[in-house]
Amino acid sequence: MCESQGRFLKQIRFGDSSYSERRCVADIISTVEFNHSGELLATGDKGGRVVIFQQEPENKSQPQCRGEYNVYSTFQSHEPEFDYLKSLEIEEKINKIRWLPQKNAAQFLLSTNDKTIKLWKISERDKRPEGYNLKEEDGRYRDPTTVTTLRVPVFRPMDLMVEASPRRVFANAHTYHINSISVNSDYETYLSADDLRVNLWHLEITDRSFSIRARPGAVQLRGFKPGALKPSCDLQRLPRKDIVDIKPANMEELTEVITAAEFHPNQCNTFVYSSSKGTIRLCDMRASALCDKHSKLFEEPEDPSNRSFFSEIISSISDVKFSHNGRYMMTRDYLSVKIWDLNMESRPVETYQLCSLYENDCIFDKFECCWNGNDSVVMTGSYNNFFRMFDRGQKKDVTLEASRESSKPRAVLKPRKVCGGGKRKKDEISVDSLDFNKKILHTAWHPQENIIAVATTNNLYIFQDKLNGPPVRGGGGLIKTNPGERGDTTECPLSVLSV
Amino acid sequence: MLGKGAKRKLDEHEDGLEGKVAASAGGGPSKVSYTLQRQTIFNISLMKLYNHRALTEPSLQKRVLINNMLRRIQEELKQEGSLRPMFFAASQPQDDPLDEGYREAQPAFSILSAAAQPAQPSALTSTTPLESCLTPASLLEDDASFCTSPPSPTPHPQHDGLTKPPPPHPQVAIKDSFSSALDEIEELCPTSTSPETAAVTATAPKIPPPPPSPPPVLDSKDLETKVCSQKFEGLVTQQESKASAAAESKLMDSSSPSNFEITTSTGFLTDLALDDILFADIDTSMYDFDPCTSTTGTTSKIAPVTADDLLKTLSPYNNQPVTPNQPFKMDLTELDHIMEVLVGS
Repeated sequence: MCESQGRFLKQIRFGDSSYSERRCVADIISTVEFNHSGELLATGDKGGRVVIFQQEPENKSQPQCRGEYNVYSTFQSHEPEFDYLKSLEIEEKINKIRWLPQKNAAQFLLSTNDKTIKLWKISERDKRPEGYNLKEEDGRYRDPTTVTTLRVPVFRPMDLMVEASPRRVFANAHTYHINSISVNSDYETYLSADDLRVNLWHLEITDRSFSIRARPGAVQLRGFKPGALKPSCDLQRLPRKDIVDIKPANMEELTEVITAAEFHPNQCNTFVYSSSKGTIRLCDMRASALCDKHSKLFEEPEDPSNRSFFSEIISSISDVKFSHNGRYMMTRDYLSVKIWDLNMESRPVETYQLCSLYENDCIFDKFECCWNGNDSVVMTGSYNNFFRMFDRGQKKDVTLEASRESSKPRAVLKPRKVCGGGKRKKDEISVDSLDFNKKILHTAWHPQENIIAVATTNNLYIFQDKLNGPPVRGGGGLIKTNPGERGDTTECPLSVLSV
Repeated sequence: MLGKGAKRKLDEHEDGLEGKVAASAGGGPSKVSYTLQRQTIFNISLMKLYNHRALTEPSLQKRVLINNMLRRIQEELKQEGSLRPMFFAASQPQDDPLDEGYREAQPAFSILSAAAQPAQPSALTSTTPLESCLTPASLLEDDASFCTSPPSPTPHPQHDGLTKPPPPHPQVAIKDSFSSALDEIEELCPTSTSPETAAVTATAPKIPPPPPSPPPVLDSKDLETKVCSQKFEGLVTQQESKASAAAESKLMDSSSPSNFEITTSTGFLTDLALDDILFADIDTSMYDFDPCTSTTGTTSKIAPVTADDLLKTLSPYNNQPVTPNQPFKMDLTELDHIMEVLVGS
């Protein structure tokens, strides 16, 4: 992928157009997620807002041209709350967004902050009824005596209006901060994970969470219909039973927390959760109602020569993602991206080192990672607004930078190289001059095309791939610049540098 | 840009630490710098845990990881024989009702006293004549007597390479005199209503062995009283004591070359008042942060600033010779500070 095709950087920057020194805290992007078709891209920010971008349909006159993304809908998903019991605020920051697959004209997504998950319905309205008998067009009621004829109201087109409405609110289920939500492949249930517990929900039912009714010898249902789900508790009254609970009896013995969780993309009974000690546990909900005993434990033995004070902290897994085909999973810890074969628990099959150790508070930064559509390339973010892509097949990787200064709107992204110390070659960035305040924590890859979304602190960059050789899908891309403009394309072959 | 500058200094500072650890293949400097690094990390961890004044609930994952780090340091110190089960808080900290009781204070607190100890022997091995010393002379006397004894067969990591490695006894004696000094403090300090006093009383060990040799207690009492009362006047801020504790540990490192030689009495302060050391004009403005902005990565901003400031606070001390008083007083102020935090100031 990297060698045969020129990689284009078409940048669409959404965010503060002025120089990024003026930062509004509420604009800090906290999550980025494509929907299942890739047409929609949702971002959540620290101010509790969700902004959805829509890809323009491909232009018939220019079939090579992939649509660019424009703002589709913006709504306030979560508001700040106050926990009166603990006298603490509950942040409205959106931690995660997950799309549901589209079943009808409307789109559905789950968004969550630290405590509450909401199901939002995003629907379009481009027609409205006109010609009521009893009402004027502006809504005032007509005097009935003035009505002389009857007419049938008709739908007339109107400017497209995108409405977002909350359909479900799943609240009061988490004592600790929610770090993950994941929709099951049955599209009826989903899980939510906080530091110590994993909850199973049914999308229709908000007042309780569930565990699986364990029946030995039972045939696995394709989906968990409400009848197959045993209500584990009524959230209002009964003590809760989650599908995973690692809270110790004595909190002082707590040494490990859950950092991420995800359902398997195909097997609706399987999910994984990662921990702060660098382990991943795969659980099968058919085995028992309470999945404290994992089916598989993935852990790489520690290399004693690399041991330092921070060994545990940097081994904490910040993100776990299944591959689309469900055969692998990827974990991101502070220093590396690891790809695990689900059939081998002893060590990862691939490891990509990212950068040298940084002993400051950034060591707690949680970087996400993502797969491309055919699981051949993985991507994750880093500091200095760098992000990394690793081509698994060709064993190549590249470091790129998302910034306004370093890239013209249509130019190819120049690969960057970070040198660890010692002699710095020309064009290399020394580790010491990396800006740790500029970090890319959230990245997303279009499920089918080579389109990536990369979020810096409060800007969103969308990059598209210009294909020279055999296309990934459809034709090559003639890249448009910002909306309304058009320009020449420049290209140069990508030179892959290993960092 | 400001962040970038601060980051550079932090990297330099920590590169220095890493460089020291990495450069030496073993022997005196590496052990000392390892201890220094451990002490620094310990201090930073405590700062992360206790200086957090966020409006929202702090991250459980972060607290668990930091606490694991502190526990690991505690285990190391225990293996090195430095840890004594002392100074358990009498009351749980009130400022942490979150998370159904997850507490970091208790293990951390015992680590605090333990981690503070190793710094002392390295300072005390810069040997001392008995006269013209500031108090606590009890410490000095004990230390001198032990330093002249033959080296212990079990080497201590921080003393490798030193000309006179002290046996384990000084640590015991130091602790004993330390704890007895604490007892004296609580007797002497008039402001028994202050929370620090109550805390110190609560945390003084119940069964300290008596100091091996009768020290000139009067001197120590005078100074302790002075420190005590001045402390209780609230002149020392949390950050100052933290900075001075960390600066003191850095001071140990900067003075470690001198540990290889036996210094004479000129190494001790005779005319330098403790006031100048403890209440030197340390700029604490960087430590004051607006609570309104504390929701966004406060800890991540504070850490580099703090380390930066530690470097600045180090400079006033560079020209001052090592005294055994300093570590002793630093521990007291550090202890008081910790109790302040725990009692819930």
